[in-house]
Amino acid sequence: MNDMDQQRDVLITLKRSVGAPGADALKEWVDRAMKESIPVHDIRCALIQGVETLRHRLMSSDFGMPDFLLSIDSVLDGLDMLSGMEDAGSMPDTPIVIGVVKGDPHDLGKNIIAGIYRAYGYRVVDLGRDVCSDAFVQGVALNGAKILGISAMMSTTMSAMKDIIRDVKAKYPETKIIVGGAPLNEVLARSYGADAYVESAVSVIEQTMAILDTD
Amino acid sequence: MGRSAPTQFLSRLVKTVLSGQVPPPGLFPEWMLDGAASLCSARASLTPLANVERLITTLRHKEPDHVPCCPLVISASRRLVGASFPEFAQDPYIAADALLAGFEFLGGEIIVPMLDLSVEAADFGQSMVYPEDSTPHPDYSDPLIKDVAGYGKLRRIDLKDARRMSNLLVLYPILVGEVGFRGAVCGFCFGPLGVLNMMRGAEHLFRDCVNHPREVMAAMETITDVLIEYVEAQCDAGVLGVTLDTLFASWNGLSREMWERIEGPFVRDIARAIRKKGCLVAVHNCGHGVYFDSQIRFMEPDIISFAHLPDDCKDRKELKARYGDQVVLMGYVETPLLSYSTPFDVMQECRKMIHDLADGGGFILAPGCEYPPNLHLDNALALVEAARKYG
Repeated sequence: MNDMDQQRDVLITLKRSVGAPGADALKEWVDRAMKESIPVHDIRCALIQGVETLRHRLMSSDFGMPDFLLSIDSVLDGLDMLSGMEDAGSMPDTPIVIGVVKGDPHDLGKNIIAGIYRAYGYRVVDLGRDVCSDAFVQGVALNGAKILGISAMMSTTMSAMKDIIRDVKAKYPETKIIVGGAPLNEVLARSYGADAYVESAVSVIEQTMAILDTD
Repeated sequence: MGRSAPTQFLSRLVKTVLSGQVPPPGLFPEWMLDGAASLCSARASLTPLANVERLITTLRHKEPDHVPCCPLVISASRRLVGASFPEFAQDPYIAADALLAGFEFLGGEIIVPMLDLSVEAADFGQSMVYPEDSTPHPDYSDPLIKDVAGYGKLRRIDLKDARRMSNLLVLYPILVGEVGFRGAVCGFCFGPLGVLNMMRGAEHLFRDCVNHPREVMAAMETITDVLIEYVEAQCDAGVLGVTLDTLFASWNGLSREMWERIEGPFVRDIARAIRKKGCLVAVHNCGHGVYFDSQIRFMEPDIISFAHLPDDCKDRKELKARYGDQVVLMGYVETPLLSYSTPFDVMQECRKMIHDLADGGGFILAPGCEYPPNLHLDNALALVEAARKYG
């Protein structure tokens, strides 16, 4: 087996280790890939391909949220091992600001989306939960956000999205706004002025790329 | 629904009927319920049925005069009596006034009096937030179970010391007495994994289900003991059935295998306790891709209330064909539609749903989840009217 074949096998195994049981398997394969001097870009791509597969298994009966969360944890650990490497910053610099509306304590959905964005190499600024409109506007301003993600999980809090979108768009009309959460759907999201509605983690990357492409 | 010895049957029947309550279906032999439902169904083409007759007919999978409706107007009913969220959530007499006002104002056949999803967790000691303008919820910055060791520290509580659950046990007899034979009051209990979620936070709980399942299940055993006592007390309070919320048996929670291993056995025990009291078992799950078959296997529910299609059905036709004979389907007008649509649009959506799901009985029209608490009630009225008009 020549070096190229060996490197390809390592990357295939690394990709397959995303979502495999055991927290350390993925880190061991990242370590092995680094020792094989595989370019960081290729290692990162293998990890992203692994996450890609996981995302599409997410809304299925044999792969639950616990498996997904732990898989994303291990991917982010793997990516941490790459930070500081020479070409680790070669991913697109697309700052994304994300948060949960004021009065809403539910941040699981937001955290999952933030984790996926990070795994794909986006720079994520997480404002947390219970975030007021001014803080969203400030978050966009300070970080030059190209994307703002807003989450609400309660019908009592979701209408706050409308004001946030209005306030952000008034000052930063070029910022694309994505919303998500259990009480929403596409029609309601559009009526609030959002650029996109994300129903689940399955489609978030494709939808993000699609609205960035509309620039 | 189990059979009862004749003397026991007669004494409980007389007692409940004399107290003006709908007797629990489990008091009656199956043949008697089927016979009553067949008679009602035959009469339905000639004269309107009473609410209870309509329900019995539907529950036995016979066609009533029109589908029953459960508008699931819970916190939203507080507005009819000018109560705030904290008042509704913490004062059982105010909650009873509000829910009865909702029943009188809207109609429908079923009331599900739940206050919010934190009732059980609050009584275990979880600190709470009671906002003026929104539903109460746990203070997630101060979870009761802060680490894995916390599962083992969870202690059984006595129902008499459980303020919020006790409030509901005050509320239920008031509702049962006031509603009488005009409808059914169905109790509510969050499943043990849901209760644990309120005390640990979803992200930690999900990870713990993989990394520390024994600790999670030990805590669930403690919770389940209390919940069994709680649902038995609800049944004794005169409710027709109890609804178990099992959100995590869906794509939004655990995989099917993990749910069956971790929560399934516990909710089976709770469902058995309800059935032993002769009451109906209802399941509510507003997740995506609900595992209907697993829930039927573990809880043998009479009713499943849902917001989205189950994981193994691609459309309503398949849902009706696969599960229509096994369980009464209750749903599933989506929350966003209620939030932005006109009453006319809501009625048209209900009409389609009734067309697809009501054939042969076994369907109750309802929202997929609680009616939005801050929304005007026009669309709840539309829902009830659609059941009457198109059902």
